Amino acid sequence: MALTEDRPLALPSGGSDDGYTPTGVFTRPTAETGARSWFTTVDHKKIGIMYGAAAIFFLIIGGSEALLIRMQLWAPRGTLLSANLYNQVYTMHGTTMVFLVVMPIGAAFANYLIPLQIGARDVAFPRINAFSFWAFLFGGVFINSSWLLGGGADGGWFMYAPNSGVIFSPTHGIDFWNLGLIITGIASLTGAVNLIVTVLNMRAPGMTLMRMPIFTWMALVSQFLLLFAIPVLTSAQVLLMLDRGFHANFFNVSKGANPLLWEHLFWIFGHPEVYLMILPAFGLVSDILPTFARKPIFGYPFIVFSGIAIGFMGWGVWAHHMFVSGIGPISVTTFSLTTMFIAVPTGVKILNWTATMWGGKLKFSSPMLFSIGLVTMFTIGGLSGVMHSVAPMDSQQTDTYFIVAHFHYVLFGGAFFGFMGGFYFYWPKAFGYMLNESLGKANFWLMLLGFNLTFAPMHVLGLQGMSRRIYTYDPGYGFEFWNKVATIGAFTLASSVALFVVNIFYSKVKAKNLPPVGPDPWDGRTIEWMVPSPTPAYNFDPIPTVTRVDDFWYRKYGETKDGKLVRIASTAEVAQQRTDGKGIHLPSPSYWPLVLAFGLPIAAYGLIFSLWLALVGAIIVVGAIYGWVMEPPDDPDKAHDDHGPDAHASDGGDAVVADPVDAVKEVETVG
Amino acid sequence: MQRLPKIVRVLAVISFTLVVVLFAALIVNSFQNAGKPLTTLTPQGPSSESIQKLLVPVTSIAAVVFVGVLGAALLISWKFRERKDSDPDEFPEQVHGKTALEIGWTILPALILAGIAVGTVMTLINLNREEPNSINVQVAGQQWWWQYKYDVNNDGNFDGPEDITTATEMVIPAGRPIQVTTTSNDVIHSFWIPGLNGKRDAVPGLRNPLKLQADEPGIFRGQCTEFCGLSHANMRMLVRAVSTSDYDAWVKNQLKDHAADPTDPTALAGKKVWQALCAQCHVIDGINDVKMKETKPPLVSGVAPDLTHLMTRGTFAGSIFNLYEPVGSDGSPLPMGDVAAAGDPGAALTGGKVNTATVNRVTLEAWLRNAPALKPMYPQGGRGMPNLNLTEEQIDQLVAFLETLN
Repeated sequence: MALTEDRPLALPSGGSDDGYTPTGVFTRPTAETGARSWFTTVDHKKIGIMYGAAAIFFLIIGGSEALLIRMQLWAPRGTLLSANLYNQVYTMHGTTMVFLVVMPIGAAFANYLIPLQIGARDVAFPRINAFSFWAFLFGGVFINSSWLLGGGADGGWFMYAPNSGVIFSPTHGIDFWNLGLIITGIASLTGAVNLIVTVLNMRAPGMTLMRMPIFTWMALVSQFLLLFAIPVLTSAQVLLMLDRGFHANFFNVSKGANPLLWEHLFWIFGHPEVYLMILPAFGLVSDILPTFARKPIFGYPFIVFSGIAIGFMGWGVWAHHMFVSGIGPISVTTFSLTTMFIAVPTGVKILNWTATMWGGKLKFSSPMLFSIGLVTMFTIGGLSGVMHSVAPMDSQQTDTYFIVAHFHYVLFGGAFFGFMGGFYFYWPKAFGYMLNESLGKANFWLMLLGFNLTFAPMHVLGLQGMSRRIYTYDPGYGFEFWNKVATIGAFTLASSVALFVVNIFYSKVKAKNLPPVGPDPWDGRTIEWMVPSPTPAYNFDPIPTVTRVDDFWYRKYGETKDGKLVRIASTAEVAQQRTDGKGIHLPSPSYWPLVLAFGLPIAAYGLIFSLWLALVGAIIVVGAIYGWVMEPPDDPDKAHDDHGPDAHASDGGDAVVADPVDAVKEVETVG
Repeated sequence: MQRLPKIVRVLAVISFTLVVVLFAALIVNSFQNAGKPLTTLTPQGPSSESIQKLLVPVTSIAAVVFVGVLGAALLISWKFRERKDSDPDEFPEQVHGKTALEIGWTILPALILAGIAVGTVMTLINLNREEPNSINVQVAGQQWWWQYKYDVNNDGNFDGPEDITTATEMVIPAGRPIQVTTTSNDVIHSFWIPGLNGKRDAVPGLRNPLKLQADEPGIFRGQCTEFCGLSHANMRMLVRAVSTSDYDAWVKNQLKDHAADPTDPTALAGKKVWQALCAQCHVIDGINDVKMKETKPPLVSGVAPDLTHLMTRGTFAGSIFNLYEPVGSDGSPLPMGDVAAAGDPGAALTGGKVNTATVNRVTLEAWLRNAPALKPMYPQGGRGMPNLNLTEEQIDQLVAFLETLN
């Protein structure tokens, strides 16, 4: 059983067993604290935090773009933005929010939580994990750098061909969009492989699949969706890149191309994308609701299997984005019916969450409020989704503000409310201090108000004929009033996000005068709550053996036959103490993920401006791969217990296998 | 449990109340569709009516489900809230799930959806059924206006000498089915007359069918709904449903050409200007008979709206400006006016004399002076009308000439 925790450490590296001594350039960095450590870290927790921080940074950019859109539409014939600029702003808003905010926040939680929830020390491939993050960050910065280099993409986030061709969009905005998303796609793909392997291979002893916390389950499903969805998008984007940069004719209608090729490829990616964005939030809520209801999740296997069902069915509904594209009545009917029935597993989830609350002893802390917010607001998005699964109705609603309302109820009312709940819930675990509850509740109510003021009126605007993606509208259509309401709502929403940021800093300052937060501030259920807060670098010492769902809860409480709960141990007795982590071997930091990821945007700039620069990027990438491969293996003796340069000076990089004595000791502790 | 500061509690109450008021106002407002020319909620043709018949029950079911879920969430939140005086060591009953209940609430939504599915399939069959005796019209989108071709002699060809090519406005007889075929000459657009039917994308290289029929004569507005580049917002449609006799007269007039020179000397001078500058892109039957070709830059004659019967239309420039009164009262160069009232060509619609007193000369002249200033376009890439730097005299001559194009 010790296998699970040795695995990331014991991977032999090329040549290490014949006394290979690396040259100085390949020495692994050692810093584990300080600013520099963040650039070389392979710690899943630091990477998770960086994903979150980067996503909030992009949220501010994407949110500012949203405010520009809303200011432009405040009144008929708005003049704040030109048509050209508006088209760039709304395209970049959608792209930023989907690829650089919601997806990375999901990745932030998955990175931080999965190893903690399954009882692992880190992810399966820590360096690849770091690479995923840097590639995502550089991809995101690359896309946004288009603002300084001739303007953003202007084709809408689904970038339909042939409008995305050079003839119709001669600036480089779409090239930035295209290449940048190929880079973030690489990040997502490597991240997905990494997390899938982590979940399947690195669970603590006793942690069977059906004992995993639901967040881990949902994150696993969404990583599988990523794994299969991203390559489809990347394929389409490679075609677009060849069209735009190398005069190919994949989408040139005058050469016989069919523009629906892009639509199909995009939505085969795009629809699973929707589910992979929402599932992690579903997972968070499924862990938060039982904690604050103080009873187990209702129907654990049904929640899990409905998530898996959504994952499978999500592949059979893509053409509902194309009901009016001209795919023929048989396809329209088929996809209309498949789309309708994906509401069943989603409905099962909603009902199970409600049943989890039923009969509980509900404590309305901020995470709980946001979770109930998700249950109700997502329901609106789900039901409007059923409305346009009905293809004839969709023929009126598609590409109007009704759709804009729908997907914001799904992605904001669903995913983002869940993420906000997750932030409040896991903040003490990640940073060692609680976010202020009063500000948290104000945050929730302001967000609920702003969110509904912004997006609820869009339902009616859409049904009354307001087309989406229009930079202007005329008086006389009856659009004036609700657009004003939506704009007021957008600023309310922005202020609620600002309040969240204020809360982060306010609470940090206040925390100095408060006792340190213990490992388990919420009386949690899953094993991440048994480790100290903030989580030590080694996560668990020792790795726990898991015996059932909500393992940590049942270390604290026993359940009688008639469902009565009795406390059997205090939290202090069953939680883990912070140790010096001696003898625990963690993967060493590395420069190469950063260098490798840095080569990608350089190559991408080269593809836009000069192929010579692309060559430089390619050399960086190849060089980084070489450095990565030649890097000495993790040095178990150097990790953690000893950072002194002298103590193990002679070790070089040749120690491969964990000290057998230590390994035995750990097995015993675990057992 | 720490009590919340009062301000947070007040905020919660205000926020909750406002959301409830907002939802109520939205529901009420969705029944108020007067003066909303693009609304989908007041159907005026058989297709949109059959969609409405589906919308009402489906939306009602959705509303009931939402009220149920919201009500349950609120009720449960209230009923099972932690009381202040409760014993912290007392826990609720630990229920892990009930399989019968799970199966029940898996099957129940599936049954409701099955009912919706039956209605959906029946409506789809109805919407796709071909109507006998329908008029065939090919609608082609291009940046950023619409071209209409009528297969008048019903031979399956839209470009014969007895067929009609026109632009910007679609004239149909009320009460008669129109079989529209959408296509595009450049990027994907979407043809949408919400009062008459749902939308249908206009995809280059594809021919997509769409049925239209207006119950009564009237003006039906539309808006391009697939993002098609810079001026997507300014790509509007206008369907003029008229009586059968007016329609017949309209067809008869559309088949005429303008080979004869205008008698008015200013208009004649305008014709010369037109031939020198405008004929590169625009077509007037009898003057430059080049039929519309597929739009592929560089521009050739025939890729800009056909102007043969310009003055029979009430609007121009993608239906964003009125060609006739009513126009805005402020006299600004952008009198787009109240969109509920389209410009009225009067007798000119069916070939009668143009009432020059009602022509919206202000906007028409402003358009000729500098078109890209009134509507964002991309003339340097061959998409949209350039600024031709016309003199005021040329503009006056051109307008005089255009006014003869009934």
